[in-house]
Amino acid sequence: MTKAERREQQERQRAAKAEKAAQNSGKNPPKSANKPSQSSGAGAPALTRRGSRAADFPPKGAQGQSKDAKAGADDKGAHTRGLRIFSHFGLPKPTSHKGEIHPAIVRLGLQFSEFKITGANARCIATLTAFKTVIQDYVTPPNNTLSRHLMTYLSPQISYLVAARPMSVTMGNAIRQLKLDISGTDIDLPEQDAKDALCEKIDTYIRDRIIAADQVIEETAGNKIKDGDAILTYARSSVVEKVLLAAHADGRQFTVTVVDSRPMLEGKKLLQVLSSAGIQCTYLLLPAVGSVITETSMVLVGAHSLHSNGAVFSRAGTALVAMMAKQHSVPVVVCCETYKFSETVQLDSFTRNELAPVELFKSFPQNRPQDLSSLNDQPNLQILNPLYDLTPPSSITAVVTEVGVIPPSSISSIPLALGRTML
Amino acid sequence: MGIPPEVQNVANQRIVEVLVSKLRRRQVVGSRQTAIETVLVLRQVVSKARFSNIEQLIHIIKAVGRRLVQAQPKEHTVGNTVRKVLHHVREEYQAVSRAGPSTQTAKSSFSISKFVSQGQPRKQNLTAPKSDTRSTSLRENDPNDPDSFAKGLKPVLMEAIQDVLDELETVYDNVSKSAKDHIHSDEIILTIGHSKTVESFLKAAAHYRNYIVIVAETAPSFGGHEMACSLSSAGISSFLVPDSSIYALMSRVNKCILGAHAILANGGMFAITGSLLAVSAAQAHSTPVVVCAGQFKLTPLWNLYHDYGALDFADPSSVLGFEEGSLVDKVDVINPYFDYVGPELIDVYITNDGDHPPSSVYRLIKESYDDDDHEL
Repeated sequence: MTKAERREQQERQRAAKAEKAAQNSGKNPPKSANKPSQSSGAGAPALTRRGSRAADFPPKGAQGQSKDAKAGADDKGAHTRGLRIFSHFGLPKPTSHKGEIHPAIVRLGLQFSEFKITGANARCIATLTAFKTVIQDYVTPPNNTLSRHLMTYLSPQISYLVAARPMSVTMGNAIRQLKLDISGTDIDLPEQDAKDALCEKIDTYIRDRIIAADQVIEETAGNKIKDGDAILTYARSSVVEKVLLAAHADGRQFTVTVVDSRPMLEGKKLLQVLSSAGIQCTYLLLPAVGSVITETSMVLVGAHSLHSNGAVFSRAGTALVAMMAKQHSVPVVVCCETYKFSETVQLDSFTRNELAPVELFKSFPQNRPQDLSSLNDQPNLQILNPLYDLTPPSSITAVVTEVGVIPPSSISSIPLALGRTML
Repeated sequence: MGIPPEVQNVANQRIVEVLVSKLRRRQVVGSRQTAIETVLVLRQVVSKARFSNIEQLIHIIKAVGRRLVQAQPKEHTVGNTVRKVLHHVREEYQAVSRAGPSTQTAKSSFSISKFVSQGQPRKQNLTAPKSDTRSTSLRENDPNDPDSFAKGLKPVLMEAIQDVLDELETVYDNVSKSAKDHIHSDEIILTIGHSKTVESFLKAAAHYRNYIVIVAETAPSFGGHEMACSLSSAGISSFLVPDSSIYALMSRVNKCILGAHAILANGGMFAITGSLLAVSAAQAHSTPVVVCAGQFKLTPLWNLYHDYGALDFADPSSVLGFEEGSLVDKVDVINPYFDYVGPELIDVYITNDGDHPPSSVYRLIKESYDDDDHEL
């Protein structure tokens, strides 16, 4: 355990103690703060119960300043209105320096937390590239071996990135592979050789699991597009973008409907790319999707992660599009590399999700100068921007991976097909 | 039966023209507002109208109604209000003419034949009293004093029209009456857009219950923002979410409460874009869907255009602004006003006159309007 980690742990314990003290002394004030102006007989008992419970779980809404989530319990008085079921949705915490963080990681953390780099693939590639720099700059301290010590050096870097923005499944998978590679490094190998070998392994991972996989998906999914098709896609997936561009370059005639939604309005970027490539595009916002779904021949979406029950975790809104498509018997095809597979099972979008920071997304059309800060000041109002939702396997027709087109029910067989060590 | 020339011109009156152009320019929007404006115009028209028999009066009202409906066919409440006024006018006329010598045998005996005859169009009842020339104070087509019929009837007509207006003005209160029976404490309610009916419904429930509202902002009009502000300032804890998270949150939502633009004869409805999405997500999670709407939104129409809600499109610049210069001329932008939501997706309509399942909407329409008036 490094010094930094020890300090971190101490701090956490201290915060927990402080919280306990605050709870014992200040249990009553938040109750009254939570009670709305009208006091009613029916709602009162349930309300007070909720009030005290909410005090244990600080809401994540407006407060960003508190260092630790637990420390946030101190200023609970003002924020007890938060609904408890949302309390676990992680907002990016302000990053605090603990131990020595490599500058490449600091920069990457900032890019993550400001949503300059988004998307499962982009984040994974950026992380691995940054780790390559970190590994090259790493010097094994005396009386240590690289295979043992490098991981302890990397873990604060990783936690720094996680603090900037919760880790994506892709990053988790890649880092697990990297850890495996590090621990498998031969002790007798000269240090520079070992580092070079690791970097090469990272490069191989990026090439095989992401870039080559995308090329295979491009071809496989592209073959599913026929002349005269009307493809509908939601938000922006790098894989879907590649598939559409490749199919267009292939000379296939099809139109694309780009469906988009706040807060991120990522579809606009996709729209720019596609329309400048000469593909006939239609653009609409998510609420209008019911009007166009009947004229669609296929829905093509990307994914954040795949779960072993066949559910697809993806940008919020994907589940709505897939549901509408399913209801109108339009095939829903998910383009997804196998390294996005996660062995966990998720049942709904609630157990794990992420909130987008409100300040970052004021993406309103110009003709409507809406100021979200006026909404922020409302006493009983909170703004929630969940980033992901879970599309149930029942509304997915097929998943296109680099190992083939598979139904969602067979997703659980992916790790076996690849050999478990790969993941 | 000759129709005096002024009957033809009545539809071109100034007051009618004013509303026609307002409707056309969408200066009057929102189903209740248009309905109220329509009643006010009709009241003026009727009070000024010259007629010597009921057909002439109905003809006048219909002519005005046709003008207004053609001005903005998607504001269905205009037509509905005209139909409602016509219905009331007919009823008043019947009451007056029946008050004469032959007080119809209104025995309250239940029989199959009576039950059947109630389902019949009202026309028979209407033609029956007209055939015999009565000796009531009201005389149609009096050659000596052609205005006597109008003079006698107008006071009751004004009252009848006032009834329609009163109904419109109290519609929110009456819809909200049963709010506390539909919402229990600690419930999580999802709503979209900014429906005044839903707003007052939720606020009424907040007097008795403590619950949470999730408001989807409903792009591109972002009516949800106003809704969330209004609800939170009324002391209801509200969450404003983007439309994309409707599905993600639906698993924790207890009830989906929406407004309607028009309720159709099959029990379906036209509602703000995004309703179909919310309702489908609710159905996928077996969440009940409640629609709050006044009965003036009952429309004797069927949806023939399932694809594009009401086939009415709004300004695309709110979806893709002109600041995206290079994109604007390459890309089609679709921004429909309304969604069509089928009856199978809705659980209940809460109206100002009780709660009704979608399957009984046809009956309400039969009760509210005369069959003759479906085509104005």
